[in-house]
Amino acid sequence: MSHVTIRRRGRARELRRAAPFVLPFLVLFVVVYLIPAGYSIAQSFFAVKRSGLGLGGAETVFAGLDNYTRVFGDGEFLGSLGRVAFIGVIQVPVMLGIALILALLIDSSVATGRKFFRVAYFLPYGLPGVIAALVWSFLYAPTLSPITRLFASMGIHVSFVTDGALPFSIANILTWAWTGYNTILIFSALQAIPEETMEAAALDGCSGWKAALLIKVPLIRPALLLTLVFSIIGTAQLYNEPVTMKAVAPNLASTYTPIMAALRSLSANDFNYAAAQSVVLGAVICVLSVLVFRASARSVDS
Amino acid sequence: MTTTLQTPAPTEPVVTATRRRRPRTSPLTTVNPATRLLVLLIMSLFAVYFLVPVWWLVVSATKGQGELFSGNGFWFGGHFALVDNVQTLFRAQGGIYSRWLLNSLLYAVGGGLVSTLLASMCGYALAKFSFPGREAVFGTVLAAVLLPAPVLAIPLYLVFSYTGTVNTFWSVFIPSIVSPFGVYLSRIYAASSVPDQLIEAGRLDGAGEFRIFTIGVRLMAPAMVTIFLFQFVAIWTNFLLPSLMLADTSLQPVTVGLVSWRELQGYPISYTTVVTGALVSVIPVVAMFLSLQSFWSKGLATGAVK
Amino acid sequence: MVKRTARLIAAAVAAGVALAGCGSGDAGTQASGPVDVTFWGWAAGYDKSVALWNESHPDIHVKYEALPSGGQTGYDKMLTAAKAGTAPCLAQVGYETFSTFLAAGVLQDVSQYVKPQRSEFPDWVWNNVGVNGAAYGVPVDTAPMAMFYRADLFKSANIAIPKTWDEFATAAAAVKAANPQARIMNLPTDPYLYSGFAWQHGASWFGVKGDSWTVSIDSAANAEVGQYWQGLFTQGLVTSYPAFDAALYSAWSKGEVWSEVGPVWSASLIRDNAGDSAGKWSVAPMPRWGTTDAVGNSGGSSTAVMKGCKYPKQATEFALWMSTNDQSVSNLIASAAILPASKSGLANAALDKPESYYGGQAIYQLFRDEAPKVNPNWQWGPVMSATAASLGDGLGKVPTKGGTYQDALSGAQKSTLSALQAQGFSVSK
Repeated sequence: MSHVTIRRRGRARELRRAAPFVLPFLVLFVVVYLIPAGYSIAQSFFAVKRSGLGLGGAETVFAGLDNYTRVFGDGEFLGSLGRVAFIGVIQVPVMLGIALILALLIDSSVATGRKFFRVAYFLPYGLPGVIAALVWSFLYAPTLSPITRLFASMGIHVSFVTDGALPFSIANILTWAWTGYNTILIFSALQAIPEETMEAAALDGCSGWKAALLIKVPLIRPALLLTLVFSIIGTAQLYNEPVTMKAVAPNLASTYTPIMAALRSLSANDFNYAAAQSVVLGAVICVLSVLVFRASARSVDS
Repeated sequence: MTTTLQTPAPTEPVVTATRRRRPRTSPLTTVNPATRLLVLLIMSLFAVYFLVPVWWLVVSATKGQGELFSGNGFWFGGHFALVDNVQTLFRAQGGIYSRWLLNSLLYAVGGGLVSTLLASMCGYALAKFSFPGREAVFGTVLAAVLLPAPVLAIPLYLVFSYTGTVNTFWSVFIPSIVSPFGVYLSRIYAASSVPDQLIEAGRLDGAGEFRIFTIGVRLMAPAMVTIFLFQFVAIWTNFLLPSLMLADTSLQPVTVGLVSWRELQGYPISYTTVVTGALVSVIPVVAMFLSLQSFWSKGLATGAVK
Repeated sequence: MVKRTARLIAAAVAAGVALAGCGSGDAGTQASGPVDVTFWGWAAGYDKSVALWNESHPDIHVKYEALPSGGQTGYDKMLTAAKAGTAPCLAQVGYETFSTFLAAGVLQDVSQYVKPQRSEFPDWVWNNVGVNGAAYGVPVDTAPMAMFYRADLFKSANIAIPKTWDEFATAAAAVKAANPQARIMNLPTDPYLYSGFAWQHGASWFGVKGDSWTVSIDSAANAEVGQYWQGLFTQGLVTSYPAFDAALYSAWSKGEVWSEVGPVWSASLIRDNAGDSAGKWSVAPMPRWGTTDAVGNSGGSSTAVMKGCKYPKQATEFALWMSTNDQSVSNLIASAAILPASKSGLANAALDKPESYYGGQAIYQLFRDEAPKVNPNWQWGPVMSATAASLGDGLGKVPTKGGTYQDALSGAQKSTLSALQAQGFSVSK
């Protein structure tokens, strides 16, 4: 018996052993991830055809790249991508900046009442996204908002729902909901920094803010990059907040974000186009995450 | 923005668990009282920012009909109507609200448990059996961690409507029990915490693979708790998928139900009832979170200091 | 082995029985024992009519489930359920969405079941629930428009109730002059509410030319209606709250918005949301365009029978009953403020009842008198969800000055045309 056969037999035995453990997940994974993705890609190459007034139902025919031509000529869809990019560029750095500062403060020796603050910061994450958006939509509603009324009583007129204010109002909900979560993640990375490192730094005369910026931050860079990647991807799938805000801001377009645009196609019975929009959005996110991961891998190496 | 962010930073809690914790107050630094005050001030300002909307929710749920949008929004109204509001909430539309809460619980607890089990089995096998195709499976699963669930919701809807399974319990439950992030986490954890000797010893004793797994899984417990918590929260807070899939109000989770009440624009379900419903629905998750908080700081961070 | 085979055979037999039960065409007409009919809707009072029916009809049990309104997510849910084959038997479908549902192929032809009672409705209302004389449901109500106004405020400011849109503009300026905090009305930015104003002016949106659709949302007549409202807004003579928003309701209550030109069901909207101003409201005919004696319509809905309903005959029987039975109709008038579509409904005594919220005025008499002045030939298109979403987006930008009525109308024209083409409808220019 040759060496190779033994190895092959061993691998076959390993496969038999692993199968009952791996298959349940794998089958469901195929059902929930791979089939929908494949089905959407397939559907995106079809379109419906009707005859006459079309009130008797429809048939589906192959349409080649028609749906994709439509996506790239669809000003509303492209606009939604742009809006989401704009919100992401503003919101993600602000949120992570605040989260880093708060995590450093909780971690530092100067803070009092750490336990309370940790709970307070983390609390918003416990609210489901739509519930948080629902609460904020009441706080934003013109004339009903207690905040607006407070300012009005001081003679200042503010509105959170003008066209210009909307991206910032949405960014605020995101920041409110996710800063605490990121704070805790960064904080637990800070906690993992060995005691000796900081003691050595202190002996070298490096403490306080200097130590935080020069030693702690570089040490937790992997954690920071990870929160960055997921925050960016998170923004691309923006949906709950704008859709809930629409009740108080009719000027918020029903195609405000890419997912909203695809859903609008769905409810207009435009299935194949919705599939094409989803495929394009998925592709954009894939490309984006690969780029960010490459960039972050490079900066970790350096 | 919701769902992916609930699955990020895979390694943090676990990695933390395995390292030594640094004492917070270094004896070598003396702190200027002014600095201490400034830090307290900054931290308090942010605490106010995070707590004010929650405070508004609590206060609003205690207000009588018609008081919601008059007077000071951040202080209690003329009379304390919380009990009335909660009664109205649970009686509205034939008591559908308690049904929604139950549905949410069923989706989140059931989905959380099943997904944790499936993910740890798969992660265990990926770590401990060197079968052909292992890296291909792991690579595909890893790529899926990066694909946000909402982007997948529409394709899922297309497939489920093609097969006629939309508007069923399973159309929400099945997608909820697949957690690629869980597989990733349990593979990493199983590799470092379940010793190969344990498996070999088990085989020598003639134990079956599942019997050995039931022993090994105890060593993976911290990772499994983390997976369960992440998945529980992801399912509980999910909105897009159930709102797409479900038409029957009696199948909906509480998030979808509350938003549909909000869409009634105040009649026949008043805004006060919607706000009370929001508050009540948040209580289980917040309770969960307070325990998650102590789990993280005590269980994961300090639990490993032996 | 034997056991297993036996079990397989048993399963196959059971499946066969079940299949026969589903497939049998006349299960609907010959069902014995009580049958279950599910009904999805959102209008207030439907639940009570269903309860009334169930009390008196033990053989046909109707199960009512309340949804968010159609324009919100109700219609999406119905389409979703239809795709899953779990659609309810009956669904509340507004006339505006009927063509869309027909095009989606989710409705069932019930012409044969409504035939005996066709004559109990005015002929033209049947056009709303089917094409070429077929019926896919039963009309419930129509929604002619009128002017609801704060009689107390108009009187004390000594402003005459406008009879034409020119007079309305003059009155708008007078209201603002009388009280700088007050405006005559809220800008109609909801696409379906707005459609009533276009309808009144004969500014059609859709038409049928031979075998294809025509779209005219950007026509000259439509532009005229749009410019009228744009003008009032630009001059600061109207408020611009979101439609159906608590802020608008509170402005009605507080006397900051003095009137609402809206469909009959606004009667319940105002009554239920502006409780503080009870007794102070009245209703007058909708202002006219010059001397043309035409009224707008905004809304009106049907009880449609969905495909897959196993008991279409029984379902239709209930739907006809709900629209014609005296008790049911008077309940619907009281809770949802509808103007019934059926002839017997129009003779219902509830329509002559003085309404205390409206200062004792028998307001439905006015709507009944105005109903014949609604143009019966208005045509809705087959992609209304796309049309309404686009028009709603456009109109939503007017209050924040991100766009004008004209922009909204041409935007809706464009996206409607592209939606029609993309979905394979033939369109003629």
